[in-house]
Amino acid sequence: VIRRALRKAVAALTSAGLALGLLVFLTAWSAVATLVAQGDPASQEVAAWAAAHPAIEPVVAAIGFHQAFSSWLFMACAVLLGVSTALCAWKRTRSAMARSRALARARQLDAGSLAVEHDLEVALDPAMTAAEAVTTASRVLADLGVRTKRRGELLTAVSAPWTAWGSAVFHWSLVALILLVLGGNLFRSDGLMGIPVGQTLADTPVAYGLLHAGPLFNRDGVHRSFRVDAFDPDYTTGGIDRGPSPTVSVLDAAGNAVVTQRVYPNAPLKLGSLTIHAAAYGLATYFSLENTAGAVSGRSLQLVDFSQTASGGTVPVGALQISDSAGRVLVSCAITVPLQGPARNYVQSLPSNPKVRVVAVSPQGGLTVDKLVKVGETVSLPSGDVLKLDQVGYYARLSIVDDATIPFIYAGLVIAMIGLGISTLSRQQAVAATVVEGPDGSSLAVYIRLWRNAATSRAEIAAGLETALRPVKEKSDS
Amino acid sequence: VTLEILLMWATLTFFVVATAMFVFGVIFTKERLTRRAVLVTAAGLVPQLIAIGVRWARVGHGPYIGYYEVANALTLFVVVFFVIAAWRNARLSAAGIGIMPVAVLLLGGAMLAPKAGLPLTGSLASYWLFIHVAFANLAFAAFAASFGLAIVYVLRERSKTGAWAKRLAKLPSQESVDNLTSRFVLAGFLFWGIMIASGAIWANEAWGRYWSWDPIETWSLVVWLVYAVYLHLRFTMRWRGEKLAWYALLAMPLALFCLLGIPIVFHSLHGGYIGGAEG
Repeated sequence: VIRRALRKAVAALTSAGLALGLLVFLTAWSAVATLVAQGDPASQEVAAWAAAHPAIEPVVAAIGFHQAFSSWLFMACAVLLGVSTALCAWKRTRSAMARSRALARARQLDAGSLAVEHDLEVALDPAMTAAEAVTTASRVLADLGVRTKRRGELLTAVSAPWTAWGSAVFHWSLVALILLVLGGNLFRSDGLMGIPVGQTLADTPVAYGLLHAGPLFNRDGVHRSFRVDAFDPDYTTGGIDRGPSPTVSVLDAAGNAVVTQRVYPNAPLKLGSLTIHAAAYGLATYFSLENTAGAVSGRSLQLVDFSQTASGGTVPVGALQISDSAGRVLVSCAITVPLQGPARNYVQSLPSNPKVRVVAVSPQGGLTVDKLVKVGETVSLPSGDVLKLDQVGYYARLSIVDDATIPFIYAGLVIAMIGLGISTLSRQQAVAATVVEGPDGSSLAVYIRLWRNAATSRAEIAAGLETALRPVKEKSDS
Repeated sequence: VTLEILLMWATLTFFVVATAMFVFGVIFTKERLTRRAVLVTAAGLVPQLIAIGVRWARVGHGPYIGYYEVANALTLFVVVFFVIAAWRNARLSAAGIGIMPVAVLLLGGAMLAPKAGLPLTGSLASYWLFIHVAFANLAFAAFAASFGLAIVYVLRERSKTGAWAKRLAKLPSQESVDNLTSRFVLAGFLFWGIMIASGAIWANEAWGRYWSWDPIETWSLVVWLVYAVYLHLRFTMRWRGEKLAWYALLAMPLALFCLLGIPIVFHSLHGGYIGGAEG
């Protein structure tokens, strides 16, 4: 009973109907998903979309369409398609083995074996010599797109045995890619880390502003840090503007630079399984906090992002909070840097004489301070403390990916395309012909195996050869 | 700029004339007119290639950026594909009645688009650009060829022994047209697959993500899956004939929409290549 059930399950999974159904479903799902805002249901974009489409939002939310490509339905269908593809690849492997054996055997055919093993026998015009018959057959086959080689009175057009493997290789590569992508996500760490110029941050989860790490990614074994040595807001090389480009160093556990490189699009920093890109940039403001006695009681670094839609062209990344010894927040400061240029067309770079805007808000939400300060100037806070702006510079937001599967994914893609190329472009055929003598006279014995991408059909070959080779009497009869 | 634009208008004129010759040649069963239409089409490639060369020297990059350049390159590949096919097998000339209107519409659209040269941005400056775009163009040309053949198949099939069957009698048999259509789909499927694979590798080099379900990435996968369904219907389910020809007819506009429409309609990381909105 179990064996029968298994057989039925395998038959269902290998059925073309299931594969087609899954392909159609995933195609339609993906296409429709592009019409729906994608992201966390709590995100601003998704909320705006939901507000604009109140009638269909409940359905969209219920089926998880806002995270269409990680929803359980999509993943289940993708996994099922992966299983179906694996079983299909296995079937294609068996077929490829049989065909490559047949092709290898066909390459060994000679006049003697053809006399015994052939699929078609065409009676020759008695006036035709064997050499003439072979020449005519070669021409007929060439006209039908089958280019033959001639060895004496033997014609052969046999594909190489490896041509049978294209489809199997392609399908196995797809299976490998599905496994690599799914498995890679388990071992992958992918995050964004903002590092001011001249600063070093250790590769720890708290250093990332945003981090997705797979459950099997081992950060305990990672002992490294990243430093932004320099930043060029407008780097140009080879006559092409590469945009804002930081120079990044990866440091080992002892703090020694292992590699240092300028990072810009298409020039990431690579070190083993680590890849670093420059995802974005912004401004970094440094403050010192002085108490009422004028002594420095703390220092703070506040990052500021560019935004064409925000007033002044920047938005704070988090807030500068001042707390008492019990940890109660006394005042919360929003830090921005007004940019040069008109609204919505701000120049996204450090102003020549930067001024930093400090907006301090009490825990109750009341505005207490709103002041622009230059480097070296101070802001007095209601708590009695004084904030002093020490420095303004750039920071680089680095995209840091640690994924050892990427070279294998590249290899999978290349092998898949080679398999698809063989499957698409190469012929799988074995055609051989020679003249054999029989009790009723001479005839052309033809061996025909046509599988993939054949230029003609068995019927066309038979018709073409019979028309060209048959006896004159029969020709006139017709 | 003037010389380049004049050459492009000359190209469009050649292609329009060739299309008219294909239509008249097929409708009035003038085989010589149809054969000459292929020559006129090939002649149109001369000013087009010179115009692309002039522009390449002026803006410093190939036809990759902006609607005008992208549509121009797609047209070039479609026409070159067709001319080579018709040159190798003269009986395919009449398929120009299905393919050349696509080329004329594409180039006409390009001529109406802004033609200012856009600079190569940092994220586009990579040798992957050439590979990625070349295979996108090759894939579309193959899909357009399958589209043209599917049109003549459907016309002949619908007509049976009627007027269109006679007009298109010089074409290879319906079985051969059916086979050729699926072979062009196969070639397009391969080229589109290489476009996706090279794009994934390039995206990882440029942005650190090989796949991010960006609308263009998603739609390029959708188009590939649509043609994967075609190939499964053809080779696994043994579909043949008019049903499959209709499928090829309806699939090609999806590929065109993916290449030219999606960057305009959606916010996309890839939007920059067509002058649309970048995410």
